[in-house]
Amino acid sequence: MTLPKNRRKATVSKQGTIKGGLAGKILRVDLAAGKVWTEDSEPYAARTLGGRGTNSLILMNEIETGTKWDHPANLLCFGAGSLVGTAVPGACRTDISTINVFSGGKGSANVGGSWGAELKYAGYDHVVIREKAERPVYLYINDDRVEIRDASWLWGKTIYETEDLLRQELGDENIEIAAIGPAGENRVRGSAILIDTAKAAGGSGVGCVMGDKKVKAIAVRGHGSIKVFDPQGFMEAVANANRQCQANRAKVQSMRQSGAARFEDVDFEGWETCMVIRNGQDDFWEREKRARLMNPESGTPSMRRKVRACFSCPIGCMPFMEKAPGKYREMKGEGFWINGLWSVARFDISDPETAVAFWLLANDLGLDSDYVAAGLAWIFECYEKGFLDKKDTDGLELKWGNGEALIELMRKLAYREGIGDLLADGMLEAAKKIGRGSEYYLSHLKGQPSIEPFRIPKGWGLAVSTSPVAGRHLRGSIRGPIHSGPGGSDYDIVHCQNQAKSVVWQSKTKELEDNLGICVYVGTWSGAHFMTPANYAEFVRTAMGLPVTEKDLMEHFAVVGRNLEKAFNSLHTNLNREDDLPPKRFREEEVKTGPYKGFKADEDEYNAMLDEFYELWGLDKKTGMQTREVLERIGLKDVADKLARKGVLKKESP
Amino acid sequence: MNRIVRNAAVCYGCKMCQLVCSFHHTGTFWPERSSIRVSRNPQKGTVKWQIDTTCDLCRSEGKPVCVRNCSYEALRIDTAQEPKESDRE
Repeated sequence: MTLPKNRRKATVSKQGTIKGGLAGKILRVDLAAGKVWTEDSEPYAARTLGGRGTNSLILMNEIETGTKWDHPANLLCFGAGSLVGTAVPGACRTDISTINVFSGGKGSANVGGSWGAELKYAGYDHVVIREKAERPVYLYINDDRVEIRDASWLWGKTIYETEDLLRQELGDENIEIAAIGPAGENRVRGSAILIDTAKAAGGSGVGCVMGDKKVKAIAVRGHGSIKVFDPQGFMEAVANANRQCQANRAKVQSMRQSGAARFEDVDFEGWETCMVIRNGQDDFWEREKRARLMNPESGTPSMRRKVRACFSCPIGCMPFMEKAPGKYREMKGEGFWINGLWSVARFDISDPETAVAFWLLANDLGLDSDYVAAGLAWIFECYEKGFLDKKDTDGLELKWGNGEALIELMRKLAYREGIGDLLADGMLEAAKKIGRGSEYYLSHLKGQPSIEPFRIPKGWGLAVSTSPVAGRHLRGSIRGPIHSGPGGSDYDIVHCQNQAKSVVWQSKTKELEDNLGICVYVGTWSGAHFMTPANYAEFVRTAMGLPVTEKDLMEHFAVVGRNLEKAFNSLHTNLNREDDLPPKRFREEEVKTGPYKGFKADEDEYNAMLDEFYELWGLDKKTGMQTREVLERIGLKDVADKLARKGVLKKESP
Repeated sequence: MNRIVRNAAVCYGCKMCQLVCSFHHTGTFWPERSSIRVSRNPQKGTVKWQIDTTCDLCRSEGKPVCVRNCSYEALRIDTAQEPKESDRE
C-alpha cells in the first residue's frame, strides 16, 4: 500500500522553517507490505510545533472518515517532542496517537522515560505504523537500519519478561524498549504501551491498537546527534530554566521525597478534594484508612527503595518499589504515582501491599491502571447491587476492600479469562450485556472509564469532561490557583465560578508541553511552575530557530493542537456538548460524608462553566462546534473545509 | 590526577551529565560522543555510570559542565590519586 502523497502535500503548509531540535525524519512503517521509508518531519513541525501536534496532523490528513480503530488503515503514531534529546530540563516525553478505541475519535497518551530521546538520536522524530502484521512482530530501529522482525517468541510474555528477553537478544544495554503486555496482545481495550517497563502510555487504548497490529515492541538504539539553532543562546536558556528549578528547592525536594505521590502526607488537601470512593458512592475517605495506606513504617513508603528520574529530568519523581512475598508474589519495579493510591481507594482498599501489587501488576500485564480502577470498581458495584453474582464472577467475592479479588480480576482481564473476557471489550460494552441500569454507575467520559473526581474540584472536573481524548486529567485539570499560572484567575477550588479561564490556560500549556516533549511536572502542572511558556519561547527561539514569542505559542501553536484534536472528533464521532459534561451519576448524587457532604457536579453550574470554556476556545456555545474564523486564523483552512463538507462546522452568519 | 566521580547513592540516572558532556565536546547533543556513559536497568533500578579518558575536566569552561548541570549534586571533582568512591551500586 502506498502513501497518499498528493493529499498530504496539499494539507501541509509551512509557517516557518525549523532549524534545530528536530531529528528530521518521520519513519513510516507498512506492516502489510513489510516496507519502511522516511519523509521529512520539518514541514509538519513548522505547522504544529511537532510531537503530539504532528501526530494529530498526520491522523487528520490520512484517516478517512468512518475508519474504526481496528481497521488496518488506522495509524499508530509515536512522536517524540521537538526538544527531546536536547538539554531542556524534563524534555523526555513521547506522544502516542491513534484512533481512540473508546470514543472512536482522537486517541493520545503521553509518556516519559528515555525512549523518545533514543528515537531522536536514531534520526527520527516520529514512527508511524499502518496496516497489520500477519504474525507477531517487533520493530528494531538501529539508526538507519530498521527491521520488522519476528516476535512470535515474545508473544504471550509479560512486560518485564519482554524487556529482559529483548535486551538479551539485542545485546545492548542502552537499547530502549516500548512494549505491550498480554493485555495489549489480547486487545483488552484499556491496554497501555510501556516504556522501560514502568512508564505507561495509558489512555485511549493505545496498547490495544498496537496489539491489534500485532506489534509486540519497538526497540530503539540511536548513535546520532541533535543540533540546536543557537547553541550558546540555547545553553543560556537551559541555565535560566535550571536556576528556576533550583530556586524552588523545597518543592523539588518534596517531589523527590514523595515521588510526586504525596506518599507520606496523610493530610495533603488533595486527599479531601480528589477522592472517589466505592466507585463514586462517596468522595470522602476516612483519615485512618489513608494513614494505613501511607504509613511510613508499614505503608507504601516502606516499599520504596530509591527514586529514579526520566531522561534529562531535574526533579526525579519515580520510585523504585520492592514488595516482599506476602498475599501476592514478590514484585519490584519502577513507578508508583498518586493514581496508585487513588485507584485502590476506589475499592475502599487501604492495604498497602495490594496498592503496590496493583500498580506493578498493571505494568507487567500492560494494563492502563485508570481503566482497571474505574472499570473494575464498577464491576464491584454491579456485584454489590446484585447485577452479577458469584456464578458470573468465576467465584470471586467482589466486595469492597477485597484486594485479592481485585488482583485476580486484573489477571483475568488481561488474559480474557472468564469474566475478564466480558470486561475486555470495554466497560460500556459490558454494561450493555449486563443491563439492569448498570451503565448509570459506570464513570466514563466519551466511553473511556474514568477515575476522576467531579463533585468537589470543579475546574478539575471541567477539564476532564472536555478533554478531546476522552477524559484524563492532564488536559487542563486544575486543583487550585497553584495550577493556574500567570494567565489564570483566582478562584475557589470547590466552586464553579472563575475556573474556565484557568482550565484553558492549563490546557494550552499542556499543548505546548506535549508538542515540545516537556514533562508537565517540570512545566506548569507541578504547582511550582519550574518552567513556564516564557521558557518554552526561549527554547523554541534558540533550539528551533523559530522567532516566536510566548504569545505566539499560547495563541497560535497551542490553539492549533487543540483544534486538530477537536476537529478529528467532529469528523469521526457524534460527540456533542452533552459529552463534555461529567458522568451522570456525579451530577445527580451528592457527596455523602466528610467536609464536602452535599456537594455534587451541579448541571447548571457546569453548563455555565462550559459556556465560558467554549467562548474562550472560540467554539459555538450551543453545539461546541468549531468556527471557520478561528480555524483560518491559525492556518487550518483545510480543516475548516473538511468540517464544512461534513456539516460539522458552525454555520456562518449570512 | 583530578577526575570526575559520582556518588551513586544520590544519582537518579537522568543522563544529563552524559548529554551536556557531549555538548562540550561537539557543540551538539550526541551521547555517543560523551566522555560519560550512563546505562539504566529499570527492572533492578540500577544506574551504571562510567567516565573515560576523553574527559578533559572542561578546562576551557571553568567548572566541568557535568558537575554544573547535575541537579542531584551527584558529581564532583576528586583530587585523590586512588579511586575511593564507588560508582557501582
